[in-house]
Amino acid sequence: MGNRASLILGVGIMICAGAAVVIAMGWPWKAALFPIVIGIPVFCMAAAEVAWGLLGSGHRGEAMDFQLSEHVPPKIAIRRTLLAIAWMAGFFAAIVLAGFPLAVALVVFLYLKLQGRERWVISIGFTLILWAVFYAIFDRLLHLPFPAGLIQGWTGLG
Amino acid sequence: MIDALLEGLFLVLQWKAFAFMLLGIGLGFWVGLLPGLGGVTTLALMLPFIYAMKPVEGFAFLLGMHSVVATTGDITSVLFGIPGEGTTAATILDGHAMAKKGEAGRALGAVLASSLVGALVGALALALAVPIVRPLVLAFGSPELFMIAIVGIAFIASLSAQGGRGMLRGFLAGGLGLLVATVGQDPQAGIARYTFDSLYLWGGLDLVPVLIGIFAIPEIIDLVVRGTSIAGDLPKGRLNQGALEGVKDTFRHFWLTIRCSLIGTFIGIMPGLGGAVAQWLAYGHAAQSARSAEERQGFGKGDVRGVLGPGAANNSKEGGALIPTVAFGVPGSSSMAILLGGFFLLGLVPGPDMLTAHLTVTFSMVWTIVLANIITVVVCFLFLNHLARLTVVRGHFLIPVILVLVFIGSYTSNNHYGDVVLMLFFGAVGYLMVAGGWPRAPFVLGLVLGKIVENNLYISVARYETAWLTRPIVLVLMALAVAVVLYPLLQARRSRSRRAEHG
Repeated sequence: MGNRASLILGVGIMICAGAAVVIAMGWPWKAALFPIVIGIPVFCMAAAEVAWGLLGSGHRGEAMDFQLSEHVPPKIAIRRTLLAIAWMAGFFAAIVLAGFPLAVALVVFLYLKLQGRERWVISIGFTLILWAVFYAIFDRLLHLPFPAGLIQGWTGLG
Repeated sequence: MIDALLEGLFLVLQWKAFAFMLLGIGLGFWVGLLPGLGGVTTLALMLPFIYAMKPVEGFAFLLGMHSVVATTGDITSVLFGIPGEGTTAATILDGHAMAKKGEAGRALGAVLASSLVGALVGALALALAVPIVRPLVLAFGSPELFMIAIVGIAFIASLSAQGGRGMLRGFLAGGLGLLVATVGQDPQAGIARYTFDSLYLWGGLDLVPVLIGIFAIPEIIDLVVRGTSIAGDLPKGRLNQGALEGVKDTFRHFWLTIRCSLIGTFIGIMPGLGGAVAQWLAYGHAAQSARSAEERQGFGKGDVRGVLGPGAANNSKEGGALIPTVAFGVPGSSSMAILLGGFFLLGLVPGPDMLTAHLTVTFSMVWTIVLANIITVVVCFLFLNHLARLTVVRGHFLIPVILVLVFIGSYTSNNHYGDVVLMLFFGAVGYLMVAGGWPRAPFVLGLVLGKIVENNLYISVARYETAWLTRPIVLVLMALAVAVVLYPLLQARRSRSRRAEHG
């Protein structure tokens, strides 16, 4: 997983840095100077990283950073990772479709019920408390402008 | 001078000023805890409310609020791995790692105690340095500021990973951060760079959604994968026993805390660098304080020194940043620029007058920073055990709360869905970096420093052509950049040969 992630990142950066330099060449020098000065070494370093990954000893290199848990069996870890991504994508879709206030209540409730398998009372109670805190702070106190969702627009309820 | 100092204290302790300070502290406390809600934005929102106040009351309110934001932002970083503020992201690396080891109490104790030390050092610097600092600020032009930024990136890139490949990844991550910072309208020619006809990208990438994505998303995924609480299945008894240990850690590594506080103060004084830079430089310095390569491997996995450094620096920078603002009317950061607006609203003109006619007001600012931080830290310590217990709350209760904070935190940066997309995109990048063993710190520093590096490089070349490369301070900083790159390599080599000698 580690080497594959590194390879994806390395190739992705190579493509982005290469494209950034090519695009920058069409700009006046004042605007192009910095992207070119940075883009070329980044492209070269990314190429070296990819080459190291493909041809090297497979040594990962230790980052001074947090590491993903390794005690979960790989198959379960991949399944749960995809599940986490699905929840985040679902939350975003809910925000766009139903707007922030509704999406918050919906996602919190569904997460507790489906993922946490909590009882109805706890799921509804926790959702109500969290929603009330969200509403009090972000809507009433800070007056943040949360736009209505697409559904409200389609149905004319927004 | 002593009279003015005492008078400044009495002014802050007057009931009205003190009440406004408490109100400001209360606001700053929550703003710091909530990710995405920035101290700068809140400062701007609160500015109109000071119209009717006297200068001391106005500054007690604004500074009281502003000076505690970084302290409580550290709490969110430690407990949930989400930066409560842009200036508290570095605390995540070791602070959250400690929380996951069941040492949340110790991490919080350490970050609060070091924050207090940092704030006191910053306030002391403000009180003492005004007459000294003028020549220093004036000696630093664009070439020197450019080189400070380069030293910062070299520092963190070379120290944030082990071995040759780790260093390559560190520099690559730093370079990527600088490249990403070029998105948006370019400051020299006004060209829209890499905006792909999107109006949202014209202003560049907002730091808050990027930081939230790159730090919080990998943590959330890992929490889902583990299926446990943040602290895992560790016995509950350990959690709330460490707070005092964290305080002791601050005094065990007292000189490191002081040095990091001074780094924060220095960066605060320098115009345009800001708290986000200070914390990473302090983190780099804390990592450099490791005596061996093996010891350094513990950083990022829960070394308390990685908490003390950024904790001290992101608080001490406030006192430092006030120095050029008060003395010369030159704000060192966006928050100080807003505060400068506060000066004019209150009928004060920053400059020599603040050191003569209004010296008591200047000292009241010093006391506000000191008192606000002491009050906040004491209040935090009262609730520390309860806060630490959040790390044993079951994951499926915590994850939806964190998700809500992450999505709202990123959305509130500009009230635009683009911020949420940006957060998710950089969440994916952050996850790949963590999975691949890449350090995230250099990327963030590159992103923070991108505009500063570009502007100062352009001004240096346009004004001095190549002559800026031979300026004495530039040469010293260049040598320092080379030294910070070579130091870990030499240290690793020495460590290898020592191991070989011992068999």
